[in-house]
Amino acid sequence: MKPLIEFRDLSKIYQMGETEVRAVDGMSMQIMPGEFVAIVGQSGSGKSTCMNIIGCLDVPTSGNYFLGGQDVGELDDDELAEIRNKMVGFIFQQYNLLPKLSVLGNVELPLLYAGLSKSERVEQATKVITKVGLADKINNLPSQLSGGQQQRVSVARALAGNPSVILADEPTGALDSKTGKEVLELLTKLHSEGNTVVLITHDNDIAGQAQRIIRLEDGHIIFNGTPDQEVTHI
Amino acid sequence: MNLFKSFQMAISNIWARKVRSLLTMLGIIIGVVAVIVIVGLGNGLEKYMVDSFKSMGTDLLTVNVVGRGSARTVSTEEMYELVDDYPEYLTSVSPQVPLGGKVKIGNEALSYTSVTGTGEDFMIMKKFSLESGRYIRYVDIDRRNNVAVVGAYINNEWFRGEALGKTLRINGQLFEIIGVLNAETDEIEEGGGDDAIYIPYSVAAKSAGVRNISSYVFGIANEDLVKESKQIIDDKLYDVFGDQDAYRIISLTELLSMMSSMVDIMITILAAIAGISLVVGGIGIMNIMLVSVSERTREIGIRKALGAKRHHILQQFVIEAATTSAIGGLIGIGLGYALSDLASKIIVVALEEEIVVAASTSAALGAFAISAFIGILFGYLPARKAARLNPIDALRYE
Ligand SMILES: Nc1ncnc2c1ncn2[C@@H]1O[C@H](COP(=O)(O)OP(=O)(O)O)[C@@H](O)[C@H]1O
Ligand SMILES: [Mg+2]
Repeated sequence: MKPLIEFRDLSKIYQMGETEVRAVDGMSMQIMPGEFVAIVGQSGSGKSTCMNIIGCLDVPTSGNYFLGGQDVGELDDDELAEIRNKMVGFIFQQYNLLPKLSVLGNVELPLLYAGLSKSERVEQATKVITKVGLADKINNLPSQLSGGQQQRVSVARALAGNPSVILADEPTGALDSKTGKEVLELLTKLHSEGNTVVLITHDNDIAGQAQRIIRLEDGHIIFNGTPDQEVTHI
Repeated sequence: MNLFKSFQMAISNIWARKVRSLLTMLGIIIGVVAVIVIVGLGNGLEKYMVDSFKSMGTDLLTVNVVGRGSARTVSTEEMYELVDDYPEYLTSVSPQVPLGGKVKIGNEALSYTSVTGTGEDFMIMKKFSLESGRYIRYVDIDRRNNVAVVGAYINNEWFRGEALGKTLRINGQLFEIIGVLNAETDEIEEGGGDDAIYIPYSVAAKSAGVRNISSYVFGIANEDLVKESKQIIDDKLYDVFGDQDAYRIISLTELLSMMSSMVDIMITILAAIAGISLVVGGIGIMNIMLVSVSERTREIGIRKALGAKRHHILQQFVIEAATTSAIGGLIGIGLGYALSDLASKIIVVALEEEIVVAASTSAALGAFAISAFIGILFGYLPARKAARLNPIDALRYE
């Protein structure tokens, strides 16, 4: 089986005046289709930079990033937008829902940019909204929902376009522990249904829910294996 | 992502910020109103001019012989011969001899009354009509009869409507009133078109002591023959005088088209000045769109993260700007029509003239198209800025 995500000696360097910051420094790793991987590390270790590159929001300074076998480094703005639309489902810490759109309107967005017709969009969006248990809130505005419900909307939005990978950046960061757990269970469920899930977190307990852990420090991978292995390792 | 969806989004964004949108549109609204009213006023003015010229006779040519620097003259007979020679162009001719004489009725002097010596066809050419009696005839001219036809003012004010058969004095000579004309103008007043006396031109010429009559009016068979008719008279007079400065042939039709084109130029300049406010309005829209782009940076970031391409974002903002501007244009058209109506009423009251400010459909359509175009033009720059935002920076934006 070919890897869905592959970093080959990948670096992302930020030039801050005189000094350069190596946010990701010569990293190589692979994630297979259907895996549930947590990328963990302390603040400033390079997690968000990794997530931006995996999500095709940014391109590496050097090295290569292959998504579904394609080298993403050579694509322009619009081609990256198309890859994001087709292959990546984002779940952000701050939900990032559009406040003026209803639940349906928000979940429809990726389908709108994919060029689906109105009826196709509504059908598809309604399906995923039902899946995350918000069928009765379909016409509500985000402001009329709790934090946990809003994050479920963003999970539905991530799922709507049937992407190759679901990319969650600190998805429980803004939630209390109980609703955070519910969202995590939802992600686990999606994984069990065959989705590839990449979870980014600074929380070791949450990372422990994943199949595999990639631990970062100063832009390097310091551990790559199952949670059990890491415990014994330490 | 079709245009209709972008349009829907634009409407909901404009509606969500009603007051701000309205203020943004203000420049466009004022510009469109100004253009519509000014063009309407121009149309009204032109129509008013055409109407008043029509009543003065666009099927007439006036000939003034100056005779300067030439020993030769043209006789009245020669002028009448022209009509006989070219009946398909010239239908009639009448000398016009203004007589600056004193008019007296009984013992009272009329100081503003105009006295003109004319031929027998003059009344028909000028489209006067008789209230009673008859007009001057050939026999009156031939025999130099002291007969007069009077206007409605003299009949009403001096003879209580019973002027026919009465007499009046011009330069001491007694004239019998043989005809009374119907009112020619709306307001019958002293010194106006109806305060007039017409007598045989032969009598007037003798009384004024002129041997050669210098002013004639020709009737033309048809308004479309103005040019050819003018040429016929011109050829004749040039033959006689050998000098184009010795005479002048004035056609009201030509004068009218000259004045119309002057009004057109004036209106175009005024409308262009009003159009500047459309540009100012466009800059206002650009300003607000730039604010809107920075306010919605995060939204743009989210949309881009979810797969919006540059052209999606560009389209959304350009259409929003164009819609804002076009709505302003529509409001402006509505107000423009209302204001044109109001202006017409004010003009009637203030100037006592029927100048109708006629807002034209073409001006309204033009104004609408220009305002939508201005929205696109000035919305493009902010929209491009939005489309080029880096999604990571945009997502991080608070
Ligand atoms: N846009 C940027 N410009 C400059 N430095 C950056 C930028 N983004 C991240 N960094 C730096 O790169 C390093 C890794 O950051 P980041 O990937 O955000 O880590 P994490 O998400 O794990 O906190 C940090 O030292 C951070 O300061
Ligand atoms: Mg981070």
